[in-house]
Amino acid sequence: MATTSRLPPTVLSLKQFLHRQQVLGLYRRILRAARQIPNEGDRQYVMKWAEEEFKKNKGATEEVVIRMMITQGNLQLRELERSLQLAKS
Amino acid sequence: MASRVLSGCGRLALSGLRAVTATSRLGHSASAALTSCSVAAPLRFQQVFSPFVQSCRHYADLPPLTLGSISERVLYVLKLYDKINPEKLTVQSHFMKDLGLDSLDQVEIIMAMEDEFGFEIPDADGEKLMTPQEIVDYIADKKDVYE
Repeated sequence: MATTSRLPPTVLSLKQFLHRQQVLGLYRRILRAARQIPNEGDRQYVMKWAEEEFKKNKGATEEVVIRMMITQGNLQLRELERSLQLAKS
Repeated sequence: MASRVLSGCGRLALSGLRAVTATSRLGHSASAALTSCSVAAPLRFQQVFSPFVQSCRHYADLPPLTLGSISERVLYVLKLYDKINPEKLTVQSHFMKDLGLDSLDQVEIIMAMEDEFGFEIPDADGEKLMTPQEIVDYIADKKDVYE
């Protein structure tokens, strides 16, 4: 196909692009949430944990696996936000 | 005697105009003046002092940002970031092409800039900033620094 051959080989498909945005957005939201953790040690720990977890899986290529990990990350983020809310009140 | 004590107190408390008049109105005996002075002076110190010494207040006033100071701080933050080789770092170096970082590191850098400059960078803007120079320009734009 003439249209695909003009693109460089590293270009992402739309779905991959959207997943990438989701992953980066999730990472950003987790870091933002982690910033609100009052205890210095805990904050460092959570940030380190998030970084390692994302770095560990950055090579994942299978779409199903990526989607599952995004869902899981969202759940954990929600849990973190909930416990922060509880800690505040 | 009383007046000498009072003037001594006044000199001690430097300002004590109000304290002195109050004590002289209150008591004529030296001892009364002494006790009221010694009690009143430390208590009033702050109240009386503030209008003379601190005529204008500086609430967490920071030195004004300039393009030079912004780029200095941006580069300082980047140098402290453990994944960047400080020797390779210049204002023009691209995070991914020149410094070998990935998009997750770039997110971390933008968050570090938010911490350093104390304001939030929206996601859409943050992911476009790929060189230190772009970060400097963006911050200067948001903070209204032009010279």
